[in-house]
Amino acid sequence: MTANINTKIVVTLVGKDHAGIIAAVCSYFAENDINILDLSMTTVDEFINMMMIVDVAKYKKTFPGLVNDLDAVGERVGCKVTAQKAEIFDMMHRI
Amino acid sequence: MLDITEILETNQMVMSENLDVRTITMGISLLDCMTPDLDQLCQNIYDKITTCAKDLVRVGDEIALEIGIPVINKRVSVTPIAIIGSSACKTSADFVKIAETLEKASQKIGVNFLGGYSALVQKGMSKADRLLIESIPEALSKTEHICSSISLGSTKTGIDMDAVKLMGEIVVETAKATADRDSIGCAKLVVFCNPTDDNPFMAGAFHGVTEGDTVINVGVSGPGVVRHALSKIHGENFEVLCETIKKTAFKITRVGQLVAKEASKRLNVPFGIVDLSLAPTPAVGDSIADIIQEMGMEYCGAPGTTAALAILNDQVKKGGIMASSYVGGLSGAFIPVTEDSSMAKAADIGALTLEKLEAMTCVCSVGLDMIAIPGDTSASTISGIIADEMAIGMINQKTTAVRVIPVIGKKAGDEIELGGLLGNSKIMPVNPYGCADFINRGGRIPAPVHSFKN
Repeated sequence: MTANINTKIVVTLVGKDHAGIIAAVCSYFAENDINILDLSMTTVDEFINMMMIVDVAKYKKTFPGLVNDLDAVGERVGCKVTAQKAEIFDMMHRI
Repeated sequence: MLDITEILETNQMVMSENLDVRTITMGISLLDCMTPDLDQLCQNIYDKITTCAKDLVRVGDEIALEIGIPVINKRVSVTPIAIIGSSACKTSADFVKIAETLEKASQKIGVNFLGGYSALVQKGMSKADRLLIESIPEALSKTEHICSSISLGSTKTGIDMDAVKLMGEIVVETAKATADRDSIGCAKLVVFCNPTDDNPFMAGAFHGVTEGDTVINVGVSGPGVVRHALSKIHGENFEVLCETIKKTAFKITRVGQLVAKEASKRLNVPFGIVDLSLAPTPAVGDSIADIIQEMGMEYCGAPGTTAALAILNDQVKKGGIMASSYVGGLSGAFIPVTEDSSMAKAADIGALTLEKLEAMTCVCSVGLDMIAIPGDTSASTISGIIADEMAIGMINQKTTAVRVIPVIGKKAGDEIELGGLLGNSKIMPVNPYGCADFINRGGRIPAPVHSFKN
């Protein structure tokens, strides 16, 4: 089933690569009923660059709550994690 | 499904090209506040603004967090105060009291600026219009967030030269009243020909009498994004140049459209317009002059600059109109000198003169904007500068404006620092020859013919 655009969130992550980064982010998603729809990752010069599109239809907290939690997860693994509603990308890149 | 490169492109625009939404401006009609009792009027105004716009700042911040694009300013525009105070105000001091009320209201709701300390006198001044205009120096020196705009002419009515003369004097008086702060009062005072009722940008925003009770208007930004896009097509022909600006303007405006729709929904206030204007800031890279220079000018102001600006302005409109369901306001490119670091530099080295800026205003929005001039510039010379700009707007059926800052105690070449988004620059020289006999004639310039266009 296609997720509603209003519940789709784009999560981006940048930082120095090491074991367990994706695991930490994905564990948070699993614990909070956030479904991963798409995932892409590259490493350049020891730096990891990851992007996920997730569905938060069943997520219980508010958007600022998600941002705070992802900040905390990011801090734990030494990366910068940001969340944005996918709507903005659809607006900018689709007619 | 979204493409990863599109996500990266958007985020790069925000992180390194200064993409932001410049302002969410809530227009509020104060017509229903009118009463002959001044104290009651002030109370009505305070209550209406603080009720209608109580959630504006919070909602603006929420939207910015969710889409990951900064919403820099949250502002309010109100019905021209000369109309609202016409019954209650018997003296200029009475109007200052309304200005102080507006300041109190703007501080309560936490907005960056509140516009609408305005009078529309393009065909003549009523007693209240004159009192409001005369109160401007005191009103702007006693307040921090209030912006004033006066309409002096239009294509349909001609130009009220009595008001042009008076405004030359008021600009000087306002500069003197704020002389201790580099005459910053004049940065919050603009005169117009053909003003728009739905402009979200300061200092010229006011809520026109033909508008609804409340409305949400949004102004976008993004000169840095356009410049970056142009840097990738160096040396390509004009077709490629124009297409690139158009596509970039489309993307920038879509952000504004989303923010406007979202703010309208959450505040339960009708969506008015998106203003397409590319608005620069003093931040490095967030500059209209940089775009002109990227197009091929050694410095902004060199021969060819007017043509380059005409292309930019027109392509921004062509791209932006497709991106938004309602386009309005000024919708062009702003060329403020102090607020655009590369524009200020071009002026500093002599590449950009006041006369060239005047020519540039023929092809873009809005006018002679944020130009610091010597403190000893006479009121009649300022009126002459205003009259020239009003004439360009009147004849060419476009909005034009003048916001000049005669910096008291300083001369051409001296530096001024206005702080924040208002920026800094060196003071530009003004043509030393007088025009007092012309300005002192008094009366009106008749409306122009609307045919025989040459």
